[in-house]
Amino acid sequence: MFLRNSWYVAASGQEAGRKPLRRVILGEPVVLFRTEDDTPVALEDRCAHRHLPLSMGKLIGDTLQCHYHGLRYDRTGACVRVPGQDLIPPSARVRSYPLVERYRWLWIWMGDPALADPAKITDYHWLDDSRWGAASEYLHVKANWQLIVDNLLDLTHLAFVHETTIGNSALVEHAGVKVQRAHDNVVVTRWIIDQPPPPTFVKVGGFTGNVDRWQIIDFVPPAFLRLDVGATPTGTGAPEGRRVGGISMRNLNAITPETETTSHYFWGQAHDFDIHNPHTTEKVVAQIRTAFLEDVAVFEAQQVNLDLVPNPPQTDINADTGVIQARRILDRLHREEAAAAPRAAAE
Amino acid sequence: MSVKFRVELVWQDSDASIAESIFLTSDGRVILQGRAVPAADRQALSLPLEAALISVDRRLVRAIKEML
Repeated sequence: MFLRNSWYVAASGQEAGRKPLRRVILGEPVVLFRTEDDTPVALEDRCAHRHLPLSMGKLIGDTLQCHYHGLRYDRTGACVRVPGQDLIPPSARVRSYPLVERYRWLWIWMGDPALADPAKITDYHWLDDSRWGAASEYLHVKANWQLIVDNLLDLTHLAFVHETTIGNSALVEHAGVKVQRAHDNVVVTRWIIDQPPPPTFVKVGGFTGNVDRWQIIDFVPPAFLRLDVGATPTGTGAPEGRRVGGISMRNLNAITPETETTSHYFWGQAHDFDIHNPHTTEKVVAQIRTAFLEDVAVFEAQQVNLDLVPNPPQTDINADTGVIQARRILDRLHREEAAAAPRAAAE
Repeated sequence: MSVKFRVELVWQDSDASIAESIFLTSDGRVILQGRAVPAADRQALSLPLEAALISVDRRLVRAIKEML
């Protein structure tokens, strides 16, 4: 079950070029490419003639030619050439999708194009803000997208899954957690005061003593999670807003459902220290990459079990509070979108 | 001093007003933030004189309905 009337990340900007790129999004085949003037385009990846993926074809100027019988489509999805005949059937067209390039990502709208307002794209400015060092990556995950959302909203797992990088037991045993729920937003704030830093923070922040550490998770539906994380030496005033002498980072996550059991996971890491040093960015990203690959192993193992027994009963604990609030928002949005669909069809 | 793991839940209405907090504690309790009901109110409203009563904002009731 997917929310269609939302922007999703389809690809990084550098993935789309003059070679067609196939990507299944919300169960629909999409082909991405750039025109000769570098404009990114997203079309349905299925020839209107005999259904071959257009991504197997090639670009002829700004048209995409099907590999099978040579039909050509322009950037709007209209067929503009049928080899061997002058008449182009009116039904010879494929769907085109609104596509916007922002924050080094390509954002696609899979729902009603009339509702595609670029102003609604979630803010990820840290990825291309000169005041931050940043890099982003992509993971393909063989698991439902909500398992990834759940994971990012409950960071107590860091103590167990990531004990060699970004986690330690203080996250569970010594944390005060605040969950702020608004109509379409959940913010989970966790402070861990006067506790040892995790290994990654020692490596990139050079801490030698205890720290005051924060994790502020900002969830925007359907699957955008922006984490404000960092630490300062204990007693320097970070809980009161004075973030000095430590490190601050943004962990930026955008999950796009591929199918009900697979996901595109776009993530980035931005840091406010040594921002012009690519080696620092790579060191930070490498630590997070290690941790995220540990997460992927968890997601995919969960999905294997869910494939065997769909919708099994599950037990919630206090740490799931943010997860539960996010799911309630998503349930409401699904109901609203389902209710609006018949009305839109009738108009 | 160490903080034992606990969760504070806060509801923010569409007008940005914030409800009083709900606390989930590690020993399984749900603690609601409110104000003690003074003896004068108990008398005036015929409320139980000895019970541990608290008065809560209506937004907290909304928060309970939405969040718990």
